[in-house]
Amino acid sequence: MDLLKSFSSLLAMAEMELRRLRHDPFEIITRAIQPILWIAVFGSIMARARAFPGIDDYTTFITPGVILQSSTFIALAYGIALIFERESGILKRLLASPLPRSHIVIGRAIAGGIRASTQYVVVLASAALVGARIVGNPVNIIMGYLVLVLTCMGFTGISMLMASLLKTRERFMGIIGAITMPLFFASNALYPIDVMPNVIRYASLINPLTYTISILRKLIISNSYDILQELLVLTAFTTAAMLASMKCLKKIIE
Amino acid sequence: MKAIEVREVVKIYGHSFRALNRVSLDVEEGSVHALLGPNGAGKTTLIRIITTQLNPNEGSVKVFGHDTVKDSSKVRKMIGYVPQEISLWSDLSGYENMLLYAKIYGIPKDVRNKKIEELMDFMELSEVAGKLVRDYSGGMVRRLEIAVALMTKPKILILDEPTIGLDPRARSLVWSKVSEFRKESGVTVFFATHYMDEADKYADSISLLNQGKLVAQGSPNDLKNLVGGDKVSIAFKEPVNKVSEVISAIPGVLAIDLRDNYLELTINDITTTLPIIIEKLYRNGFAIRELKVHEASLDEVFIKLTGRRISDEPGRIRDVVSMRRMIRRGG
Repeated sequence: MDLLKSFSSLLAMAEMELRRLRHDPFEIITRAIQPILWIAVFGSIMARARAFPGIDDYTTFITPGVILQSSTFIALAYGIALIFERESGILKRLLASPLPRSHIVIGRAIAGGIRASTQYVVVLASAALVGARIVGNPVNIIMGYLVLVLTCMGFTGISMLMASLLKTRERFMGIIGAITMPLFFASNALYPIDVMPNVIRYASLINPLTYTISILRKLIISNSYDILQELLVLTAFTTAAMLASMKCLKKIIE
Repeated sequence: MKAIEVREVVKIYGHSFRALNRVSLDVEEGSVHALLGPNGAGKTTLIRIITTQLNPNEGSVKVFGHDTVKDSSKVRKMIGYVPQEISLWSDLSGYENMLLYAKIYGIPKDVRNKKIEELMDFMELSEVAGKLVRDYSGGMVRRLEIAVALMTKPKILILDEPTIGLDPRARSLVWSKVSEFRKESGVTVFFATHYMDEADKYADSISLLNQGKLVAQGSPNDLKNLVGGDKVSIAFKEPVNKVSEVISAIPGVLAIDLRDNYLELTINDITTTLPIIIEKLYRNGFAIRELKVHEASLDEVFIKLTGRRISDEPGRIRDVVSMRRMIRRGG
């Protein structure tokens, strides 16, 4: 019974996020502009250039990368909500409520994951429109979505950790701005790992994005379920991010 | 039983700033207790320690016998807390805020809706339940926040500056709702304020806090007697001699000072004593030309004890502006 109660309080956090999105879907729309440009402009021009000999359909190749780029940005920015709530009284109230503190982190991570993963639909649809060849099997598409939510929960955790440690909007936005592009470039989002210089190749191997993108390529492009290894890495990443975030959450109101 | 026991609490921010310096106080179960002091006195710090958000550097706090550091989760189950800043999602409706908090607090599904409806109705918010909190007035926001705090049936309601930045009508509506709920449920209320009239009017006992130290504690009347109670000056139409004999027998008259046709009285509890004085004077044929009443205020008590005022007008205007900004900016 207690477990059920816990679960429903976690889901309430996610529900809160969905309700906010319903009242104000503006973010989903504006956030969709950038990935559409990546796919439609960057993708189709690069496809003509045929820069990477092993890849014959570049637009399809970068689709998972663009999904991740777009949703990771949103997940990493999610911590700003915590900073706003720190200035308002919501966090104080939650921290003084019977709700276990771990639930605040997990609940918000689910919420952030859901908000971020809205990009999945937008990018897949726009990629399909410009001719990307995507596996139509709904099982693959749903599995891909769940993996994306898991990844975004990890990045939301990192974002909440940053928010707890940095505490002000300015410092937070500075750090987030500094890490998002390097994260994107040091991954297999835009180019295959084997064309990278060594330094970036090593960086990409410790980058969670690389593993998610690899899973998505297998699921929604090559119709393969050989994803266990990457899934373990991602689960470890998300768990670690959440634990660190739980440990530091109380700092945000001090 | 004591609802709150604060013992020798010290809270140090940074390396040396003592926000609280050996504060001790008791709150009786079922009473209304005010923590009164100017901005920066340490009221919010104490409330955050009581609500388990912060740990004290020294000393201890117990809520219904449970230590706020060692037994923090038990303490959190007993309190209903409204922070000074807005604690609602302003981009959601009032009903949605209640619903989400009900779910977060784990209130069972079968009673959830009934409870939300009851509380919103009680707080006179049913008509605006579907409106976004962003469009609420300051008073509605506060009432909704208190409704949220009451959902878990707390044994003690802890309010940090519950009426800050509200106009007088909104303030009195907030208080009448809190009082009404208290009468029905017997909940203990602990609130921080820098409005001395609120502490005077609504609290059974008051702790005066200044620069992290407790300067006095007692009922509003006890505290006002520290500055000599209420004063009444009476001017008679002609010099009077025997008036002292008539008046000194009245209980509640503390001091008499007579000069020609001017009489100055210090009395305890003006609302009941003054009518008796006037009646006696009238019956004995003393003709009153002028009568002036000076009620002792907690502000005077505070000035006497600390040399500073509790509240200043510029502070209030700043509070209003920042409250409005908070509502606009949203939770």
